[in-house]
Amino acid sequence: MNVLLGLLTGLAFGVVLQRGRVCFNSAFRDLRLMNDNFMFKAALLAVALETIAFLVMAQLGWIHLNPKPLNWVGVIIGGYVFGLGMVLAGGCASGTTYRIGEGNTTSWLAGLFFAIFALATQSGFLSPIMNAINGWTIKVSSNSALYLGDKTGPTLATLLNISPWIAGLVFAALMLIYVFATKTTKRETAAWGWIKTGLLIVPVAMFGFWSSTLTGRVYGLGITGGWINVLQATQTNVALSWEGAEVLGIILGAAITAIIFKEFKLRVPKKGITYAYVVLGGALMGFGATLAGGCNIGHFLTGIPQLAISSIVAGIFFILGNWTMTRILYGKG
Amino acid sequence: MDVKPTKSIDERGEVCPVPDVDAKRALAKMKSGEILEVLIDYPLSKERIPANATKDGHELLAIEETGNSEWRILIKVK
Repeated sequence: MNVLLGLLTGLAFGVVLQRGRVCFNSAFRDLRLMNDNFMFKAALLAVALETIAFLVMAQLGWIHLNPKPLNWVGVIIGGYVFGLGMVLAGGCASGTTYRIGEGNTTSWLAGLFFAIFALATQSGFLSPIMNAINGWTIKVSSNSALYLGDKTGPTLATLLNISPWIAGLVFAALMLIYVFATKTTKRETAAWGWIKTGLLIVPVAMFGFWSSTLTGRVYGLGITGGWINVLQATQTNVALSWEGAEVLGIILGAAITAIIFKEFKLRVPKKGITYAYVVLGGALMGFGATLAGGCNIGHFLTGIPQLAISSIVAGIFFILGNWTMTRILYGKG
Repeated sequence: MDVKPTKSIDERGEVCPVPDVDAKRALAKMKSGEILEVLIDYPLSKERIPANATKDGHELLAIEETGNSEWRILIKVK
């Protein structure tokens, strides 16, 4: 049942990612490199609407808000390293994962090393680093029954000691004003417009949070934990979890739509060095995401809508890392 | 389309955003009226290269499907 729910979530997510070409690496990087905010706007629209959606779901008792605890060292260093890695890998965690389904051999390699280094950081040869910083993890008292438990990761609501509803509505309103009141880069030949893409992410995120909660994992869309679980489930006796099934579903969903729309192709770069770049990129992403408590999907599509400080800070450092490596590799564009 | 491109770059297989960056750089170095042909196999670049080119004032002549998930984009430099 857990596997089925995760798989369904992943399938839907994979379709949206592939059709919408949703990649946060692209969203952040294109802001700088191409003066292009098309994907960034789609992401912000999704975040704003999810903020409201999660509040409603929590109010109805379908989920609990469960923002990640804050570890400054983890989110700053992990976030920055992840940002560097996604540019080298040519895709963020979700971008890489869905492009595996499109046939990109560089994504296959990036994804594999993402998984290897994520698990290595969580419980393998790199775990001493995680253990070293664990003591600095911060949780605060929940100031609302919407949160899971008495203690929760700090959010804008707990920080200002206001109701998550008020904080959430103000946050969502500000985001929506920015999204619709400012100019958005045109992309006339896009399969899906940015508004359609942003809108369609929301029901997937809602179904994800609801169904994952049923399995005991009180959280929404995520990728890093899923990859870790896929590795564990294939190499050891650990059972495939909701999140592991979600990641497999993304690959499958993206593959299906890619094949239907004739966008599946086994793509191979001309120069071998590209493989070295994406291997390094994947490794940095795996390490960074685990250290930061999540990748761009966990933090942007699940954490920020809950106003988690950990996710907001991680998000900032994802972007800074991304812009740094973009400048190194591609100059000012 | 039966135009003879002045310059052709083959970006098939390249990782995101290399096709877009190479296209932009090529256009910047070309003279007005010249035609750039970009061969790609990356769906996102098929959407983004034309958008960026027209935003920079160049003229999009054609986007032709030349194979399975392969396209040929023709841009006339402004």
